[in-house]
Amino acid sequence: MSRMLTTAMRAAARPTLKAARSPAAAIPSQLRFSSNEHGQESFEQFSTRYTSFFQNAEDLFEVQRGLNNCFAHDLVPSPEVIEAAVRAARRVDDYATAVRVFEGIKEKVENPQQYKAYLEELKPLREELGLLTKEELFTS
Amino acid sequence: MQAIRLARPRTSLSTSPLVRSLATTAAPGAHVASSSTATKAQSVIPLSNVEAQWATMNAEDKALVHQQIDALQKKDWKELSIDERKASYYVAFGPHGPRTPTNKPGDNLKIALATIGLSAIAGAVFLGFRALGPAPPRTITKEWEEAANERGKELKLNPITGIASEGYTGKGFVSHK
Repeated sequence: MSRMLTTAMRAAARPTLKAARSPAAAIPSQLRFSSNEHGQESFEQFSTRYTSFFQNAEDLFEVQRGLNNCFAHDLVPSPEVIEAAVRAARRVDDYATAVRVFEGIKEKVENPQQYKAYLEELKPLREELGLLTKEELFTS
Repeated sequence: MQAIRLARPRTSLSTSPLVRSLATTAAPGAHVASSSTATKAQSVIPLSNVEAQWATMNAEDKALVHQQIDALQKKDWKELSIDERKASYYVAFGPHGPRTPTNKPGDNLKIALATIGLSAIAGAVFLGFRALGPAPPRTITKEWEEAANERGKELKLNPITGIASEGYTGKGFVSHK
Protein backbone atom coordinates (compact mmCIF):
# COMPACT_ATOMS: atom_id res chain seq x y z
CA MET A 1 0.00 0.00 0.00
CA SER A 2 2.69 2.45 1.06
CA ARG A 3 4.72 1.38 -1.93
CA MET A 4 1.84 2.24 -4.24
CA LEU A 5 1.47 5.54 -2.46
CA THR A 6 5.15 6.45 -2.86
CA THR A 7 5.05 5.43 -6.51
CA ALA A 8 2.09 7.69 -7.04
CA MET A 9 3.76 10.51 -5.14
CA ARG A 10 6.96 10.08 -7.05
CA ALA A 11 5.06 10.14 -10.31
CA ALA A 12 3.30 13.30 -9.18
CA ALA A 13 6.55 14.95 -8.12
CA ARG A 14 8.46 14.13 -11.28
CA PRO A 15 7.20 16.89 -13.57
CA THR A 16 8.06 19.62 -11.05
CA LEU A 17 11.52 18.18 -10.48
CA LYS A 18 12.11 18.03 -14.18
CA ALA A 19 10.94 21.59 -14.52
CA ALA A 20 13.23 22.70 -11.73
CA ARG A 21 16.35 21.23 -13.33
CA SER A 22 15.87 21.26 -17.05
CA PRO A 23 19.23 19.71 -18.06
CA ALA A 24 18.35 16.76 -15.83
CA ALA A 25 15.77 15.59 -18.34
CA ALA A 26 18.28 12.99 -19.50
CA ILE A 27 18.24 11.31 -16.09
CA PRO A 28 16.45 7.96 -16.32
CA SER A 29 13.09 8.07 -14.63
CA GLN A 30 13.91 5.07 -12.42
CA LEU A 31 16.60 7.05 -10.59
CA ARG A 32 15.77 7.89 -6.99
CA PHE A 33 15.99 11.62 -6.77
CA SER A 34 16.08 11.68 -2.99
CA SER A 35 19.47 10.00 -2.74
CA ASN A 36 20.76 11.50 -5.94
CA GLU A 37 20.36 15.03 -4.68
CA HIS A 38 23.15 14.52 -2.10
CA GLY A 39 26.11 14.22 -4.39
CA GLN A 40 29.12 12.20 -3.32
CA GLU A 41 31.83 14.41 -1.88
CA SER A 42 35.18 13.70 -3.49
CA PHE A 43 38.35 13.32 -1.43
CA GLU A 44 39.67 16.65 -2.74
CA GLN A 45 36.46 18.44 -1.79
CA PHE A 46 36.64 16.84 1.65
CA SER A 47 40.23 17.99 2.06
CA THR A 48 39.54 21.57 1.03
CA ARG A 49 36.45 21.69 3.24
CA TYR A 50 38.30 20.58 6.35
CA THR A 51 41.43 22.58 5.56
CA SER A 52 39.39 25.75 5.44
CA PHE A 53 37.47 24.66 8.53
CA PHE A 54 40.64 24.26 10.57
CA GLN A 55 42.10 27.47 9.20
CA ASN A 56 39.05 29.33 10.43
CA ALA A 57 38.57 27.49 13.73
CA GLU A 58 38.75 29.91 16.59
CA ASP A 59 38.72 27.97 19.84
CA LEU A 60 39.71 24.60 21.23
CA PHE A 61 36.17 23.27 21.24
CA GLU A 62 35.75 24.02 17.57
CA VAL A 63 39.09 22.42 16.67
CA GLN A 64 38.26 19.29 18.62
CA ARG A 65 34.76 19.11 17.17
CA GLY A 66 36.24 19.43 13.68
CA LEU A 67 38.73 16.68 14.43
CA ASN A 68 35.98 14.40 15.68
CA ASN A 69 34.00 14.95 12.49
CA CYS A 70 37.03 14.74 10.21
CA PHE A 71 38.26 11.45 11.67
CA ALA A 72 34.78 9.95 11.70
CA HIS A 73 34.79 9.36 7.94
CA ASP A 74 35.92 6.17 6.27
CA LEU A 75 39.17 7.72 5.04
CA VAL A 76 42.45 9.02 6.39
CA PRO A 77 42.57 12.81 6.16
CA SER A 78 45.18 14.11 3.76
CA PRO A 79 48.42 15.68 5.05
CA GLU A 80 47.13 19.17 4.18
CA VAL A 81 44.16 18.66 6.49
CA ILE A 82 46.45 17.32 9.20
CA GLU A 83 48.74 20.30 8.85
CA ALA A 84 45.81 22.71 9.07
CA ALA A 85 44.52 20.86 12.14
CA VAL A 86 47.89 20.91 13.89
CA ARG A 87 48.32 24.59 13.12
CA ALA A 88 44.84 25.21 14.48
CA ALA A 89 45.87 23.40 17.67
CA ARG A 90 48.94 25.65 17.83
CA ARG A 91 46.74 28.71 17.36
CA VAL A 92 44.47 27.75 20.26
CA ASP A 93 47.54 26.79 22.34
CA ASP A 94 46.77 23.15 22.98
CA TYR A 95 49.73 20.82 22.74
CA ALA A 96 47.77 17.74 23.72
CA THR A 97 45.33 18.11 20.84
CA ALA A 98 48.20 18.36 18.37
CA VAL A 99 49.65 15.13 19.77
CA ARG A 100 46.21 13.58 19.64
CA VAL A 101 45.90 14.35 15.92
CA PHE A 102 48.84 12.04 15.22
CA GLU A 103 47.35 9.42 17.50
CA GLY A 104 44.19 9.68 15.39
CA ILE A 105 46.18 9.09 12.20
CA LYS A 106 47.77 6.04 13.73
CA GLU A 107 44.32 4.75 14.53
CA LYS A 108 42.94 5.40 11.04
CA VAL A 109 45.72 4.12 8.76
CA GLU A 110 45.68 0.55 7.55
CA ASN A 111 49.24 -0.45 8.44
CA PRO A 112 52.30 0.92 10.27
CA GLN A 113 54.04 1.79 6.99
CA GLN A 114 51.33 4.29 6.15
CA TYR A 115 51.67 5.86 9.58
CA LYS A 116 55.41 6.14 9.05
CA ALA A 117 54.78 7.76 5.69
CA TYR A 118 52.53 10.33 7.35
CA LEU A 119 55.17 11.02 10.00
CA GLU A 120 57.82 11.47 7.30
CA GLU A 121 55.58 13.75 5.27
CA LEU A 122 54.79 15.92 8.30
CA LYS A 123 58.27 15.88 9.81
CA PRO A 124 59.01 19.52 8.85
CA LEU A 125 55.79 20.63 10.53
CA ARG A 126 56.52 18.66 13.67
CA GLU A 127 60.02 20.05 13.88
CA GLU A 128 58.77 23.56 13.27
CA LEU A 129 56.29 23.36 16.13
CA GLY A 130 58.36 21.16 18.41
CA LEU A 131 55.76 18.43 18.38
CA LEU A 132 56.41 14.91 19.66
CA THR A 133 54.14 11.96 19.00
CA LYS A 134 52.64 10.01 21.86
CA GLU A 135 55.17 7.20 21.37
CA GLU A 136 58.06 9.63 21.55
CA LEU A 137 56.56 11.25 24.65
CA PHE A 138 55.97 8.15 26.69
CA THR A 139 58.86 5.92 25.72
CA SER A 140 61.72 8.39 26.13
CA MET B 1 57.86 17.74 48.98
CA GLN B 2 56.74 18.41 52.55
CA ALA B 3 57.34 22.12 52.10
CA ILE B 4 55.30 22.10 48.92
CA ARG B 5 52.41 20.38 50.67
CA LEU B 6 52.53 22.91 53.48
CA ALA B 7 52.65 25.79 51.09
CA ARG B 8 49.79 24.60 48.94
CA PRO B 9 46.68 25.73 50.90
CA ARG B 10 47.94 29.25 51.31
CA THR B 11 48.53 29.77 47.63
CA SER B 12 45.44 27.95 46.48
CA LEU B 13 43.30 30.29 48.56
CA SER B 14 44.52 33.18 46.46
CA THR B 15 44.90 31.76 43.00
CA SER B 16 44.64 35.01 41.10
CA PRO B 17 48.21 36.28 41.85
CA LEU B 18 49.51 32.89 40.76
CA VAL B 19 47.69 33.07 37.48
CA ARG B 20 48.98 36.57 36.93
CA SER B 21 52.57 35.59 37.67
CA LEU B 22 52.30 32.60 35.34
CA ALA B 23 50.85 34.80 32.65
CA THR B 24 53.84 37.09 32.88
CA THR B 25 56.27 34.24 32.51
CA ALA B 26 54.33 33.04 29.52
CA ALA B 27 54.61 36.40 27.77
CA PRO B 28 56.31 36.03 24.39
CA GLY B 29 60.07 36.24 24.53
CA ALA B 30 60.22 36.35 28.33
CA HIS B 31 63.41 34.68 29.66
CA VAL B 32 63.81 31.94 27.11
CA ALA B 33 66.77 30.21 28.71
CA SER B 34 65.56 30.11 32.31
CA SER B 35 61.87 29.74 31.60
CA SER B 36 61.50 26.15 32.76
CA THR B 37 63.36 26.72 36.01
CA ALA B 38 61.51 29.98 36.67
CA THR B 39 58.09 28.38 36.22
CA LYS B 40 59.14 25.41 38.33
CA ALA B 41 60.10 27.71 41.15
CA GLN B 42 56.77 29.53 40.98
CA SER B 43 54.51 26.60 40.32
CA VAL B 44 52.79 25.13 43.31
CA ILE B 45 52.55 21.62 41.93
CA PRO B 46 55.56 20.24 40.06
CA LEU B 47 54.53 18.98 36.64
CA SER B 48 57.25 16.34 36.54
CA ASN B 49 55.15 13.63 38.13
CA VAL B 50 51.57 14.59 37.40
CA GLU B 51 50.81 11.12 35.98
CA ALA B 52 51.44 9.48 39.33
CA GLN B 53 49.74 12.13 41.45
CA TRP B 54 46.70 12.81 39.30
CA ALA B 55 44.51 10.07 40.78
CA THR B 56 44.96 11.36 44.33
CA MET B 57 44.74 15.10 43.61
CA ASN B 58 41.74 17.09 44.75
CA ALA B 59 39.76 19.32 42.41
CA GLU B 60 41.60 22.50 43.43
CA ASP B 61 45.00 21.02 42.65
CA LYS B 62 43.74 19.74 39.34
CA ALA B 63 42.46 23.19 38.47
CA LEU B 64 45.87 24.60 39.38
CA VAL B 65 47.62 22.09 37.14
CA HIS B 66 45.24 22.97 34.32
CA GLN B 67 46.04 26.65 34.75
CA GLN B 68 49.77 25.99 34.78
CA ILE B 69 49.59 23.88 31.66
CA ASP B 70 47.39 26.36 29.84
CA ALA B 71 49.91 29.09 30.58
CA LEU B 72 52.85 26.90 29.56
CA GLN B 73 51.33 25.98 26.22
CA LYS B 74 51.12 29.60 25.16
CA LYS B 75 54.91 29.56 24.85
CA ASP B 76 56.80 28.17 21.90
CA TRP B 77 56.31 24.42 22.17
CA LYS B 78 59.97 23.76 21.52
CA GLU B 79 60.78 25.32 24.89
CA LEU B 80 58.59 22.91 26.82
CA SER B 81 60.44 20.23 28.72
CA ILE B 82 59.53 16.60 28.16
CA ASP B 83 57.81 16.50 31.55
CA GLU B 84 55.68 19.49 30.70
CA ARG B 85 54.70 17.90 27.39
CA LYS B 86 53.85 14.64 29.11
CA ALA B 87 51.81 16.46 31.73
CA SER B 88 49.94 18.38 29.05
CA TYR B 89 49.06 15.21 27.18
CA TYR B 90 48.25 13.22 30.31
CA VAL B 91 45.94 15.83 31.76
CA ALA B 92 44.03 16.21 28.50
CA PHE B 93 43.92 12.65 27.15
CA GLY B 94 45.43 10.38 29.79
CA PRO B 95 43.75 7.21 31.02
CA HIS B 96 41.65 8.79 33.75
CA GLY B 97 38.03 9.81 34.10
CA PRO B 98 36.01 8.66 31.08
CA ARG B 99 39.17 7.26 29.46
CA THR B 100 39.93 4.86 32.30
CA PRO B 101 40.63 1.49 30.70
CA THR B 102 38.06 -1.14 31.64
CA ASN B 103 40.76 -3.76 32.18
CA LYS B 104 43.82 -3.18 34.27
CA PRO B 105 47.09 -4.70 33.02
CA GLY B 106 47.23 -8.31 34.16
CA ASP B 107 43.48 -8.71 34.20
CA ASN B 108 43.52 -10.97 31.15
CA LEU B 109 45.87 -13.38 32.90
CA LYS B 110 43.62 -13.41 35.96
CA ILE B 111 40.54 -14.11 33.83
CA ALA B 112 42.33 -16.92 31.97
CA LEU B 113 43.56 -18.49 35.21
CA ALA B 114 40.13 -18.23 36.83
CA THR B 115 38.47 -19.84 33.81
CA ILE B 116 40.93 -22.72 33.76
CA GLY B 117 40.62 -23.13 37.53
CA LEU B 118 36.82 -23.22 37.48
CA SER B 119 36.81 -25.70 34.59
CA ALA B 120 39.22 -27.90 36.53
CA ILE B 121 36.99 -27.76 39.62
CA ALA B 122 33.95 -28.66 37.52
CA GLY B 123 35.85 -31.60 36.00
CA ALA B 124 36.94 -32.77 39.44
CA VAL B 125 33.36 -32.64 40.73
CA PHE B 126 32.16 -34.63 37.70
CA LEU B 127 34.84 -37.32 38.11
CA GLY B 128 34.25 -37.39 41.86
CA PHE B 129 30.54 -38.09 41.39
CA ARG B 130 31.34 -40.78 38.85
CA ALA B 131 33.79 -42.39 41.27
CA LEU B 132 31.33 -42.31 44.17
CA GLY B 133 28.44 -43.63 42.10
CA PRO B 134 27.57 -47.36 41.65
CA ALA B 135 29.15 -49.47 38.89
CA PRO B 136 27.21 -49.65 35.57
CA PRO B 137 24.62 -52.44 35.26
CA ARG B 138 25.97 -55.88 34.34
CA THR B 139 23.99 -55.86 31.09
CA ILE B 140 26.03 -53.00 29.64
CA THR B 141 28.95 -55.06 28.39
CA LYS B 142 29.87 -56.18 24.90
CA GLU B 143 29.55 -59.85 25.80
CA TRP B 144 26.04 -59.45 27.18
CA GLU B 145 24.94 -57.52 24.09
CA GLU B 146 26.37 -60.16 21.72
CA ALA B 147 24.61 -62.82 23.75
CA ALA B 148 21.40 -60.79 23.41
CA ASN B 149 21.90 -60.85 19.62
CA GLU B 150 22.27 -64.63 19.66
CA ARG B 151 19.13 -64.95 21.70
CA GLY B 152 17.31 -62.60 19.31
CA LYS B 153 18.27 -64.79 16.37
CA GLU B 154 17.11 -67.90 18.25
CA LEU B 155 13.76 -66.30 18.87
CA LYS B 156 13.59 -64.97 15.26
CA LEU B 157 13.10 -61.35 16.29
CA ASN B 158 11.91 -59.14 13.44
CA PRO B 159 12.56 -61.64 10.63
CA ILE B 160 11.76 -59.15 7.83
CA THR B 161 14.24 -56.28 8.40
CA GLY B 162 15.82 -57.00 11.83
CA ILE B 163 18.27 -59.34 13.51
CA ALA B 164 16.70 -62.58 12.30
CA SER B 165 16.30 -61.45 8.65
CA GLU B 166 18.39 -63.01 5.84
CA GLY B 167 21.80 -61.40 5.20
CA TYR B 168 21.50 -59.07 8.19
CA THR B 169 24.66 -56.92 8.60
CA GLY B 170 23.63 -54.47 11.32
CA LYS B 171 24.87 -54.34 14.88
CA GLY B 172 21.73 -55.54 16.55
CA PHE B 173 21.88 -54.96 20.29
CA VAL B 174 25.62 -54.22 20.35
CA SER B 175 26.19 -50.59 21.30
CA HIS B 176 29.84 -50.93 22.39
CA LYS B 177 32.58 -50.27 19.91
